[in-house]
Amino acid sequence: MNEMPAIWVRNLVYQVEGKTILKGVSLRVEQGEVVGIMGASGSGKTTLLRCISGLIRPTSGEVWIEGSDIAHLPEHEKMKVRLRLGIVFQYSALFDFLTVYENVAFGLERHRRLLRKEIDRIVSERLAWVGLDGTQKLYPSQLSGGMRKRVGLARALAIDPHIVLFDEPTSGLDPVNAYQIDQLITRLNRELGLTAVVVSHDVVSLMRTTDKIAMMEAGEIIAEGTPEAIRQSEHPKVQAFLKMASSEHLE
Amino acid sequence: MREELVWQEEAVSERLNALHHTLGFIGALWVLLIASLRGLLSGRIELKETLHQMAFIGATSVPIVALTSAFTGAVVTLYSASLLVDVGGGSFVGGAISLAMARELAPILTGIMVTARCGSAIAAQLGTMKITEQIDALRALAVSPVQYLVVPRLLAGLVMFPILGTVANFAGVMGGWVVASAFGITLNTFLRSIQLLTEPFDFVGGLIKTLVFALIVVLVSCQQGLGSRGGAVGVGHATTRAVVLSMVLIFVANYFLAEALFAER
Ligand SMILES: Nc1ncnc2c1ncn2[C@@H]1O[C@H](COP(=O)(O)OP(=O)(O)O)[C@@H](O)[C@H]1O
Ligand SMILES: [Mg+2]
Repeated sequence: MNEMPAIWVRNLVYQVEGKTILKGVSLRVEQGEVVGIMGASGSGKTTLLRCISGLIRPTSGEVWIEGSDIAHLPEHEKMKVRLRLGIVFQYSALFDFLTVYENVAFGLERHRRLLRKEIDRIVSERLAWVGLDGTQKLYPSQLSGGMRKRVGLARALAIDPHIVLFDEPTSGLDPVNAYQIDQLITRLNRELGLTAVVVSHDVVSLMRTTDKIAMMEAGEIIAEGTPEAIRQSEHPKVQAFLKMASSEHLE
Repeated sequence: MREELVWQEEAVSERLNALHHTLGFIGALWVLLIASLRGLLSGRIELKETLHQMAFIGATSVPIVALTSAFTGAVVTLYSASLLVDVGGGSFVGGAISLAMARELAPILTGIMVTARCGSAIAAQLGTMKITEQIDALRALAVSPVQYLVVPRLLAGLVMFPILGTVANFAGVMGGWVVASAFGITLNTFLRSIQLLTEPFDFVGGLIKTLVFALIVVLVSCQQGLGSRGGAVGVGHATTRAVVLSMVLIFVANYFLAEALFAER
């Protein structure tokens, strides 16, 4: 592929309070690819996503998003890059003083010149994608954790991003909903050519949705490859993680 | 201009000492001031949020500002009238209270009461948004937290503070009049004395003070809220600091404003 990569992370280091949380992470995500990042809690997955979206500034290293180094742009330039980026937060981060409708419409109302009718249609379509059309008038406090998570997903998808960063999109969802979110990610990728980075410790879900998986451990990527290659990997830590993850599933 | 200084996204590697903290605070406040003035002038004002904040900072503060000002006016008049009437200066009582209200008490009371009511609420709300990643969610949706949260509050403060200051002036003088009449001072004498001793500039200068106080309360409270970290305890600390720092800065600014506005008069 000689195309510009969608995301190109180079030698990312992030230090805070004397701790090194990312120890030189490099990762390349091609246009239209679905890449999974798996790893135990505390391995630095969320920190990596926050660096990729420019929400935190890395200590050193570069983060190229479709040709701009978001790590070294001023905030107002980052905004332009983020218009092409959807971010699904681990704990949803919905605006708790706004309704579901206002949450999903938030980006549309500020970045697009659309008629109210058109916004209504997009909001209801995105909510239908996550199985929540009809909840427009509710406030986040009236929703379950899993529903909030799905509204967060609808909000991130509302402004038609090219790239979506998912931080644990299925954790805390029941198996049926988790499966539907996996299906949605696959469909968005196939039908709209969406590029996705999916952070998760749900191995089963990553195996069925991704083209490539990177395994993180203590701030480093210790293995990278197709789901099949990861499954076959002889790396002891990868093996240990897969084994534990699958036994967790059997329980 | 480094907006991110306000919400401190940068990794902080070492424990900071007091000097660094103070410099960081001043730096963040300065950055926030410039960013929000630029936001104000950009014309992309969040109308709904601004109206909401106007109601919160302005309309709902009227009773408490009026009440505290009326009693302050009353007590100041109690002292001044009991002094002045004895020495035959009853005709100065109205002027004394209106001068004190216009230049000092109305602006300061407005600043203090709104800090207590709204500064704390602003810091708590923005602090909660910060620790629940709602500030990050705004940025992720390419909306500036300064534009969406700070500018509407600043605009609301700048519009409502002078109005509240005027309310405080009226209420204080009314409170003063009630007490003065108990000392046998007629309404006519009271009003004539106001006319004699106070000039329009005393009121205008007082209102200029309230504009500066609005700037202080809103910016300090927003900065503390946006900069808060570390869970519910962190939000609590931010709220306390917002109120204390706002009040201290109001008293300091008040002195220098008095020098600049009224010292020559
Ligand atoms: N702002 C911060 N200050 C201190 N430690 C942090 C901060 N952010 C993350 N960490 C630490 O970095 C490590 C990785 O966190 P995170 O990226 O959230 O991991 P994951 O998402 O893989 O569970 C954790 O040990 C966490 O405690
Ligand atoms: Mg995480």
